[in-house]
Amino acid sequence: MLRGVAMKQPHASRRTPFHGMRALDWSLRTWTAGVFGFLYLPILVLVVYSFNESRLNVVWQGFTTKWYAQLWSNAPLMKALKNSLVIAGVTTVVSVVVGTTGAWLLHRYRFRGSRAIQTLVGIPMMMPEIIMGISLLVLFSTIGMRLGFTTVIIAHVTFCFPFVLVAVQARLAGLDPALEEAALDLGATPLKAFWLVVVPYLRPAIVSGALMAFTLSMDEVIVTYFTTSPGSATLPLRIFGMAKVGLNPMLNALSAVFVLFTIAFVLFSAHLKRISR
Amino acid sequence: MSQSGVSQAGRRPGVAGWLMLAPMLVWLAAFVVVPMAILAIYSFCERDELGRVVFSFSTDSYVRVFSPVYLGIFARSIGYAALTTAICIVLGFPVAWVIARASEAWRARLLLLVMIPFWTSFLIRTYAWLTILKSDGLLSALLQHIRIVGAPLELLYTPTAVVIGLVYAYLPFMILPIYASAEKLDVALIEAAHDLGCGPLRTFREVIVPLTKPGIYAGVLLVFVPAIGMFAITDLMGGARVPMIGNVIQNQFFQARDWPFGAALGVVFTLMFVVSYWILQRRSAAA
Amino acid sequence: MKIIRLLTAVSFLGFVSGTRAAELNLFAWSEYVPQTVIDGFTKETKIKVNYETFASGEEMLAKMLAGGASYDLVQPPDYIAEVLIRNKLLTPIDAKKLPNLKNVAPEFLGMPHDPEQKFTVPFMIGTVGIVVNTDVVKEPIRGYKDVFQPKFKNRIVVVNDNRELVSWVLVTLGLDQNDITPANLAKVKPVLAEWIKLVKVFDSDSPKTALLSGEVDLGVVWSGEAARLYEEDKKFAYILPEEGAHPFVDVMAIPANAENVDAAHKFLDYILRPEVSKLISDEFPYTNPNLEARKLLSEEQLENPASYPKIENYDTFRDIGKAATLIDQLVTDLKSAQ
Repeated sequence: MLRGVAMKQPHASRRTPFHGMRALDWSLRTWTAGVFGFLYLPILVLVVYSFNESRLNVVWQGFTTKWYAQLWSNAPLMKALKNSLVIAGVTTVVSVVVGTTGAWLLHRYRFRGSRAIQTLVGIPMMMPEIIMGISLLVLFSTIGMRLGFTTVIIAHVTFCFPFVLVAVQARLAGLDPALEEAALDLGATPLKAFWLVVVPYLRPAIVSGALMAFTLSMDEVIVTYFTTSPGSATLPLRIFGMAKVGLNPMLNALSAVFVLFTIAFVLFSAHLKRISR
Repeated sequence: MSQSGVSQAGRRPGVAGWLMLAPMLVWLAAFVVVPMAILAIYSFCERDELGRVVFSFSTDSYVRVFSPVYLGIFARSIGYAALTTAICIVLGFPVAWVIARASEAWRARLLLLVMIPFWTSFLIRTYAWLTILKSDGLLSALLQHIRIVGAPLELLYTPTAVVIGLVYAYLPFMILPIYASAEKLDVALIEAAHDLGCGPLRTFREVIVPLTKPGIYAGVLLVFVPAIGMFAITDLMGGARVPMIGNVIQNQFFQARDWPFGAALGVVFTLMFVVSYWILQRRSAAA
Repeated sequence: MKIIRLLTAVSFLGFVSGTRAAELNLFAWSEYVPQTVIDGFTKETKIKVNYETFASGEEMLAKMLAGGASYDLVQPPDYIAEVLIRNKLLTPIDAKKLPNLKNVAPEFLGMPHDPEQKFTVPFMIGTVGIVVNTDVVKEPIRGYKDVFQPKFKNRIVVVNDNRELVSWVLVTLGLDQNDITPANLAKVKPVLAEWIKLVKVFDSDSPKTALLSGEVDLGVVWSGEAARLYEEDKKFAYILPEEGAHPFVDVMAIPANAENVDAAHKFLDYILRPEVSKLISDEFPYTNPNLEARKLLSEEQLENPASYPKIENYDTFRDIGKAATLIDQLVTDLKSAQ
């Protein structure tokens, strides 16, 4: 009930209602289409080149689908992809939990030293990966922790959760305190108020943060190099190693399949309505 | 017990508050403070022939950091990051706006569509850019065809290519936070502004921007800060002709095998961030 | 009764330790040890290979020094092997366990980084040399002086290795490539400053990309890159610079803290077999030091000028210790000044 009160918006006001803005609206959409074109241009090229005959994949040499066939039988590459997805998945979940609760607590309470805490949270965002990688490795080896999935996930969460935290904080800045008050007035416990009022309000920021965390984790190399064991080697790590040999179109095929699969999922999934509310 | 009339934000935490924050604090202490301490220690050490640290106190590394070459490199990295951030704001704000205004189903779809390109390998994506930007590549061919340029375009391995690459890499990290902020913007406010006689430009300046400011600031933080340390794009799309601070630091741990100097650079870089961020927080708290 | 119990216990222990699969922790260049070789080894010896990778010798060293991971086999370049030996970080190799070591060409044994041939086994040899797109550059290119001419401004690619760059200038000036002193570097500086201005791309990972895409016409790159270019298109010629070229030797070695030393020796002997070494050469067109393996290679592989150039001078890179900092400073300075 409270959720409805907080979230319901008059249906018509989502769309721009008046004339003068229509031209502006149209140009904004064209701009957006242009930016999406910019974002997907290399992806298009990547997909086209996955059919490239040339193994070195720099110059187009002819059409073939052999790389797609080779892809399925490449066990190490598939394992690396699986590792990446697992690590990114766990990292995202942990980052969202730590980042969201951290942002909320910093917003709700005035901690002594909150500026210091805030700064500490910002440090992993700026830290060059080589430094984070080496210092974490020294730490892990000093305390005798074996490298593997756990160490990689710890490292990934460390530089991912600040992104969630910052995104959630920005949204909290506009949170109307009256909302939570109303919930408490109506008899909810602070925890219930948080869960039923604040979290739904924060959803767009949580989703944004989660997307950023997942993306950062999926594509990270240097920190992963220093904190991994062979069993937990990720896909970007393998791909970087292959640069010397030549980035074979099989890698393009892998990326192409992944992208096309997720795009299809996105465009045709009906469940997506729920996360954006 | 009713709490009406009292703002819920900015209260004093009790034990409960500190307890709830404890996990994050422990995490920060273990995986940010401790590594930074290790770094700080290393920065005051000397190196052996392997490049490892030798625990004898020396400030040589710091003296080196504050020489014109490295300060210039810091400045250059900051410059590129600033330019990238500015372009991302211009390109990304309208996109965030449009997504925020879209229907429910489309909002989620568009957000995901913004991110999906970045779930491919960075290296493969960048190589695709090389294909597009090379002298006989797509962009050059297109521009020649429609006669904007007369000869093959020498775009690759120039600063322009680097900026294109940087903007491409960081655009989603500007779009997403601005979206999160713009999403709650009630169009009723815009209607009200229009009713009161504001044109689109004024509405934008005096209604939309102030309300999405937190999102813009978040976007700036999430783009500008990481971009300073980014060097892979400079290397791949700029031909590694000009060093960024990220390159220099990486070199110390690899080629030059001078860990103390690398650590010192890292510490100075961190301090620059900490001081600036501290000041900025103070300013925005006072505002 | 007691004896039966004792026998049961002993045999159980024997059973357990006998069937516990041995492992080998291999830390090597990505893609330098083909999967077919690893699979073949595991099939034959039942030893599981944990193949961890790095993308450069320096990365390998950084991770070894920073972390507690214990590897059984590592693959350093010669000058890093040298400093590892000097710091007692490698275990001597028992040559008696490597009957196939005799396949290795004698000129690659007892090299300066390991004069007693006690700690390392050569894996692949390479050189750094000049590659030229002969479709575009018609004139003869014989050395660095021919490459770094103003007329090739913005058409050159070089490896992004500061030490390499400096060594080329040193040999051009007639100095020893390993003599890194402030005085020598002062002489290098003006020449290198001019050369750097002419370079369009610095790339250690894949300099072939710039050459293949036509963004550059010539360059100084690793021989493996040049060999792959030649395989792709024979218009890419490879020349060892007349001022002086140095080979580099990537070696295999056993770290001092290795746990599975026996398995390491087995693996080393395995890859020294001619038919296995050939598999490696098939994937990596570097110079194979294994003479028996060379007999199994195809004409095409052997006539690739980048794979098997005529090496006249065997001066490799030696470890320069702290002087690496001087080089880094110099090149950073010069690159920044542009």
